[in-house]
Amino acid sequence: MIAFIGKRLFWLLITMWAVFTVSFILMRSVPGGPFDREKAVAPEIKRNLERRYNLDKPVLEQYGLELKRVFWEWDLGHCMNIADASVNYVIRQGLPISAALGILAMTFAVSFGVLTGVVSAAMRGSRLDVGLRLAATAGIALPNFVVAGICILLFVFWIPLLPAAGWGSLSQLVLPAFCLGAPYAAEVARITRTSMLDSLSHDYIRTARAKGVSRTRVVLVHGLRNSLLPVVSFLGPAVAGILTGSLIVEQIFGIPGLGVYFVKSALQRDYTLSMGVVLLYTLVLYTMNFLVDLSYAYLDPRVELE
Amino acid sequence: MRLEGRSLFPWIAGAAILFSIGWALNRGQLPPADFTFVNGTEVKSLDPAIVTGQPENRMINALFEGLTSWDPKTLEPGPGVAQRWDVSDDLLTYTFHLRHDAKWSDGSPVTAHDFIYSMRRFLDPRTAAEYSYQAWYVKNAKKYSGGGRALRPGDNVEVELNVDPDAPNSIRGKLIHGQLVRIEDKSGQELTGEALDKAAADASLNIEDWVFVISTEAGEERFRYADDLSASRNEPAAGERHARQILLDLHDVGMRAIDDRTIEFTLENPTPYFLTLLGFYPLFPVQQKCVETFGSPQWTDVENIVCNGPFKPEFRRLRDRTRVVKNEYYWDRENVKLNSVDFLAVESSTTALNLYLTGEVDWIYDVPAAALRTLLAEQPPRDDINPVPLLNTYFYLLNVTRKPFDDVRVRKALSMAIDREELTGVLLGAGERPTYSLVPPGLPGYDPPQGPHENVAEARRLLAEAGYPEGRGFPTIEVLYNTHEGHQAIAQLIRKQWQKNLGISVRTRNEEWATFNSSQRQLNYDVSRRGWIGDYADPNTFLDMFVSGGENNCTGWGNPEYDKLIAAAAVEPDPDKRLDLLHQAETILMDEQPIIPFYNYVSKNMVKPTIRGFYNNIQDTHPLSALWIDAEEKTPNPFMEGRE
Repeated sequence: MIAFIGKRLFWLLITMWAVFTVSFILMRSVPGGPFDREKAVAPEIKRNLERRYNLDKPVLEQYGLELKRVFWEWDLGHCMNIADASVNYVIRQGLPISAALGILAMTFAVSFGVLTGVVSAAMRGSRLDVGLRLAATAGIALPNFVVAGICILLFVFWIPLLPAAGWGSLSQLVLPAFCLGAPYAAEVARITRTSMLDSLSHDYIRTARAKGVSRTRVVLVHGLRNSLLPVVSFLGPAVAGILTGSLIVEQIFGIPGLGVYFVKSALQRDYTLSMGVVLLYTLVLYTMNFLVDLSYAYLDPRVELE
Repeated sequence: MRLEGRSLFPWIAGAAILFSIGWALNRGQLPPADFTFVNGTEVKSLDPAIVTGQPENRMINALFEGLTSWDPKTLEPGPGVAQRWDVSDDLLTYTFHLRHDAKWSDGSPVTAHDFIYSMRRFLDPRTAAEYSYQAWYVKNAKKYSGGGRALRPGDNVEVELNVDPDAPNSIRGKLIHGQLVRIEDKSGQELTGEALDKAAADASLNIEDWVFVISTEAGEERFRYADDLSASRNEPAAGERHARQILLDLHDVGMRAIDDRTIEFTLENPTPYFLTLLGFYPLFPVQQKCVETFGSPQWTDVENIVCNGPFKPEFRRLRDRTRVVKNEYYWDRENVKLNSVDFLAVESSTTALNLYLTGEVDWIYDVPAAALRTLLAEQPPRDDINPVPLLNTYFYLLNVTRKPFDDVRVRKALSMAIDREELTGVLLGAGERPTYSLVPPGLPGYDPPQGPHENVAEARRLLAEAGYPEGRGFPTIEVLYNTHEGHQAIAQLIRKQWQKNLGISVRTRNEEWATFNSSQRQLNYDVSRRGWIGDYADPNTFLDMFVSGGENNCTGWGNPEYDKLIAAAAVEPDPDKRLDLLHQAETILMDEQPIIPFYNYVSKNMVKPTIRGFYNNIQDTHPLSALWIDAEEKTPNPFMEGRE
C-alpha cells in the first residue's frame, strides 16, 4: 500500500514536470505575447513590462527560473492580465467556488444518474426505460449552453422562480448546478444501465431470485454493487473536470469560478495564469484517478493495488 | 474492515455536499447597493497609471479625481481638484490652483506634490504605464519616459541607484544628477548622431550593453544598467557603477509644484485638449505614502488603498463584484447622491441583459446585436434604450505593401464597391451610421471630408484601368478579422459584395486577438478589420495614427504631405487653423484610401428610467458621481432625448 502511494507520488512529480515543460514550450511558440496590444506600446515601457516577468531573459533561463519558482517555492507567479493579483490568489478565490458548484452538480449527477440507470435496467424495454434513455441521449447530445438557455427561458423569464445569474444564495445555485450536472447525469445513467444489465444477466442473480430474495433486494444489493465499478472509473476524470469549473456554465450564470481562466488566460497569453490553471488541473486529475484506483480495492476485493 | 470502508462512502459524500452548500452560501446575502451595474470584464488593476480600457475607466473614475473633471453631459473639462487655472497667451503654460478642501480618503489634503509625484511615477519607465503617451504633451515628458534610450549627449540626467532587492518595489533609489557626456555601446565604441538614434530605436536593444558616461559632482563616472538583484550580487565592472535606470533630469520636464496648492505645466505644443486629458483617468493622482508603504500592486488592495474620488472601495471579489461606497472626505460629497455602487464583473452581454431584464442591475452598456434589434422594434417604444453615435469608427486596413493594394485605383474601387447601407441597415440594425471618413461626425468645428461613396460602375472602371477588367487577373484577396461572430458576419457580407460587384474572389481568415494583433503589426495580411476608439474628443486622436511609420499605422502607407500637415497641426496655436490643417490631412487620407471606413459605432446602454444624471454623449462616458435615483419618475429622462 505504502509502496503504491510512494510510486504514484513519484509519477505525479514526473507528470507535473512534463506538463509544465510542454505547456511552457507551447505557450512561447504561439505568436503574440502577453503585452502585445492593439495600440503599440513604447519599447522602453514594453521592456519594463517584460522584465517584471523575466520575459526579457533568454528562454532557457526563463524556463529555469519558472521551474524553480513553481516547484521549489510553490509560487505560481503574478498574473499578467489581472495585475493586482497573484495566480495563487486567483486560484484561492476561484477554486472553492468552482469546487462547491462542482460537488453539487456531481451529487445531482450521480444520484439522479444511478437512480434512472437502475430503474431503466430493472424495467428494461418498458416505456419508462425508453423515455429515460431518450432523456439520457438528449442530455449527452445537448450542449451545456442550450440546456442553460432553455432553463433560463423557462425558470427565469416564463416562470420567474430563479435569478438569472450570480453567486451567493441557494436559489442562485439551482440552475448552474443542474446545467453543469445534466450531461454527467445522462452519462452516469447510461453507464449504470449498461453495467446493470450485464450484472443482472449473471447466474448469481438467478440463484438469488431462486432462493426467494425479493426483486428489489436483488437489484439494489446483488446487482447494483456489482455494477458500480464502471461508474466509479468514469467519475474520476469527470470529477476533476467538474471541480475545476466550466467555461460555459460559469459565463452564462456569471459565476466567479476558475473555469473561465482555462480559455481566457491562453487567449490573452497570460503565461503565468494559464500555467497555473493547467498545473492545477493536472494535479486534480491525477489525484482523482489515484482515488479511483484506491476505491477499486474497497469496492472490489479482487482488485489488488500494486 | 472492508465493509466499514465502504459504508463510509455515503457519509463522506454527505459531508462534502453540506460543506459545499455551506461554502457557496458563506459569502452571504448582501444588502443591495443603491446602484448596481454591469462593468464587463474584471478590471485589471485599481492603479490609475497602469490600466487601459473601458471597465477600468469606469472604476478609476469613481475612485479618483484629476485636476479637471468632465461634465457628465457635455464632457467639457470643468474644475476637479483644481479650482481654477490660468493659461498663458502662447497656450504653452498652464497654472492650476488646487482647492483647499480636496482630501484623500484618509483625511489628508491632496497637494500639488501629490500630482507631481503621480505624474512622475506615471512617466517612469519602471511603472510600465502603457498609456504614458497621454502625458507626452508635457514638455520633455516623452523623453523622460523613454529612459536611457531617449538620452543624448549633453542632456541633464538623473541616475537612479539600485536599492535592496527586498525593499518595496515602489521605493525609488538614490538619485545622482549630472550631465550625459557620451554613450558607449557593447564594443566600447562611442555612439553619436544617427548611429545612436538607430540603435536606440531598435526594439531588441539590450540596454545593459550600454555604458553611460556622465559628469557628476564626483567627476566623470561610468554607469551601466543593472537590476536590483544582480546589482546586489555582482560587483560592477572595473571603473563602472551600477544604475537602476538613467533618466532625463526631472527638472527638465515641464511640470513643477510652485507651492502646496499650485502646479505649473509647460507643454511641448499648444494642445487644445490638454484640460480634457487632465480629466482622463491615467493622469489621476495616487498617494505617495500609500504607494510607498505597501508597494505595487499591494497598495491597491482594498484594505490599503487611499483614493481621492467620490467613492472608495469597500470590497473586491475577483470576477464577481466590487462595491464602492461614498468617500466621506470627498470635497463635493454633498453632490454625490449614491451611497454605494456595485460593479458587477459580468463578461457575457447576454447574461448582462438577463440580469437587467430581471431587475437585478440598473445599467448595462452592451446588448447583444440580435436582442437589440428586437428591443428597438418593441411597441410602444421602450423608455430605457437610446443608441447614439459614438466617437468610434469601424474600418478595414489595406496592406499597401502588397499587390494589388499598392495601386490607389484598386483601393478606391474596393471602397466604392461596398454598400454600407446594407451593412448598417440590414446586418447591424442598431442605428449605426455609414461613414466615408475616418473621423466620426459630431466633433465641434470639424466636418470630416468624405471619401468616395458607393459607385459600382466607377469601381469597375477603376479596376479595369488598373489592369483587372471585370476582376480578371485579380489575385484572391483575404480579409483578416479577430474571432468574433459580429466581425465574421461583416467580413462575409463585404466578401459577398466584392465578389458580386467586382468579380474578384475573396477569402476570409479569423485569428484570435493576440495573434491577430501581431499579424496586423507585421503587415501579415491583405485586408484587415480595425476599430478605433477616440481617446479624446479631437480629430487628432484618429489622424495621427496614419503618419508614415506610425506605431499604429499598420498599413505600410505613408505620405510626406500628410505627415507635414499633422506635424503643423500639432504646433498650430490657432484652433480654427489647426482643425483646417487636420481637415486637409484627412482629405489626403480619404483620397488615397489606405483604409476603408464602414460605419460609426453606436452606444448600447440600457438604463432604468428611474436613474437620473445619465446622459448620452459621443464618448459613452457616464460619471457615477453625477447619478441619482428619482423613484417618482415625474419628468422624462434626459437620457431618452432624441428617440421618438
